[in-house]
Amino acid sequence: MKLLIVEDEKELSKSIVAYLKQENYLCEIAPDFKTALDKTESFDYDCVLLDITLPDGNGLNVLKELKANNKTDGVIIISAKNSTDDRIIGLNLGADDYLAKPFHLSELSARIAAVIRRRRFDGNKILVLNELTIDTLAKTISVNNKSIDLTRKEYDLLLYLVTNKNRVISKNAIAEHLSGDEADVFDNFDFIYVHMKNLKKKLVQAGCTDYIKSVYGMGYKFDI
Amino acid sequence: MIYSVLVLLISVPAFYYKIKSIVAEDVDEDLMAQKAGMVAKIEKVFAKNPFEFLEAFEPDFYIRPATFMQKDTFYNIMEYDSLSKENVPHRVLESSVVLNGQPYLIKIKSSLLDNDSIITSIVLVQTILTMLIMAGLLFITRYHSKKLWRPFYATLGRLHEYKIESEKSIQLEKTDIDEFSDLNQTINSLTNRNHQVYLSQKEFTENASHEMQTPLAVFQSKVELLMQTSPVTDEQAELITGLSQAGQRMNRLNKALLLLAKIDNNQFTETEQVNIENTVQKLAGQYKNALSQKNISLHTRVIADASIEANQTLMEILIGNLLSNAIRHNVPAGRINILIDKSRFTISNTGRSTPLDISRLFQRFQKQSADPNSLGLGLKMAKRICNLYNADINYSFAECLHSFSVSFNNS
Repeated sequence: MKLLIVEDEKELSKSIVAYLKQENYLCEIAPDFKTALDKTESFDYDCVLLDITLPDGNGLNVLKELKANNKTDGVIIISAKNSTDDRIIGLNLGADDYLAKPFHLSELSARIAAVIRRRRFDGNKILVLNELTIDTLAKTISVNNKSIDLTRKEYDLLLYLVTNKNRVISKNAIAEHLSGDEADVFDNFDFIYVHMKNLKKKLVQAGCTDYIKSVYGMGYKFDI
Repeated sequence: MIYSVLVLLISVPAFYYKIKSIVAEDVDEDLMAQKAGMVAKIEKVFAKNPFEFLEAFEPDFYIRPATFMQKDTFYNIMEYDSLSKENVPHRVLESSVVLNGQPYLIKIKSSLLDNDSIITSIVLVQTILTMLIMAGLLFITRYHSKKLWRPFYATLGRLHEYKIESEKSIQLEKTDIDEFSDLNQTINSLTNRNHQVYLSQKEFTENASHEMQTPLAVFQSKVELLMQTSPVTDEQAELITGLSQAGQRMNRLNKALLLLAKIDNNQFTETEQVNIENTVQKLAGQYKNALSQKNISLHTRVIADASIEANQTLMEILIGNLLSNAIRHNVPAGRINILIDKSRFTISNTGRSTPLDISRLFQRFQKQSADPNSLGLGLKMAKRICNLYNADINYSFAECLHSFSVSFNNS
């Protein structure tokens, strides 16, 4: 999978590349508007991460160019601005998703996977990990070809863990992924424990190996 | 000045003619009287003594032989005056003369009546003159004064109305008077400067907040990468989580500050009819996990439908802040009551058993609980939004319920 990261903040793009390396993504970086235009014109990418506030131009114009040239690259706008208007404009221009800075790298990874899944018309909507099968279109899980019943939240949680497999995901990140703005109303992360416990139980009961590991003090990891 | 001169010029001939006419009247009256008197006197004085003869023709004159010399003495008496037929004041001169070696007492009297009327006339005219001059001067002065100071008062009025946050610069009248022209120019440049400072301060807060987001993003990403390193000791794991939590709080704080800056900068100008009950239900849905986690029961009572003309996002933030506070500061198995009335709503919750400190409640960064997630900015933001829509927000504590009440003053 080829990714283009259009971001002028060097340390941030370095972090993104470092995190996504594990997932077999090939990452290229475009630190300014001109480079971004050049690269998108010359290559096709599976997904483009687009920062709007570039030093020499508005990132949205890269998006417009892509659409004007009928390219099928997925686009996720990453922006510090996070105003509702920006969100709407970006999505109206044809972006696949909008993620406000600062974001969790695990969240970014999950969104990239989702965009690529949506954009590829050649299958790959089914994720197979050993005995575990996830049908992302039907949103169902089966273990050894037997389907198991998960709540919406449990499904989201499992998908999140799987797309960030073998990486530690912080409790904060999980909380925000599951409950969005509601996350800061909770006193603690008990609700995560509950969902996690239920998920593990259902998987194990269906005969699945317990890949979900708790990492001391930090969070969880899907270890496979 | 001109006026006074004019009045005086007019008054002099007027004065002159009036006095002349009075005097003339007098003289005429006198002549008539004399004629009448003459006839009567002649009848009277045939073959009388010489003094009586004299007195008949000179009624004001009195002469008798005396035994001593009287010095010149003046005095006033009231006496009957045959002309005006009443008692009038007279001025009398009593004296002595010597005729043919014999002293005589003479008294000459003169009626003061006409003098009086002349004096009265003079005084009257003078008084009228004075009053005319004073009244006239007063009006003229007032008129000129008004005209002279008008630009000053106009400028004063504009200053009263001027708001530093308004986009238009202050409009001051053109004036010919140098001093006021100077004043206006100075005021113009002062207000322009102030407006620029105000704008750059507004921008600063927003810009600072924006700028913060990039290093915060970098920070968070590095901490997350740190989590992936292996091996990680337990001690390191705890430190990393500590960093992550702190980073999270910084994010929330920054977002909240940015929002406050935007509200202050009037960036939420779009309004619509926002239904309070719908907004409450929407937010209650968003928070349902938190509500069930703490086992809090939420009760909503609608006395009358409330719809406010306001910005939807801001209203959601307002109600959301109050609601999340009610959840966060609640006790397990606690309760939240929401009361909605025509132009107000109240959110009450169970919680700590002592009332909150009202004086510090709406200040930025004042935290009322040890909950690390509680940002002091929540209530400040609620208050700011209320100010924007001319609403009041009040806190009260009764029957173990903490209540926040928002009432809108214009429907």
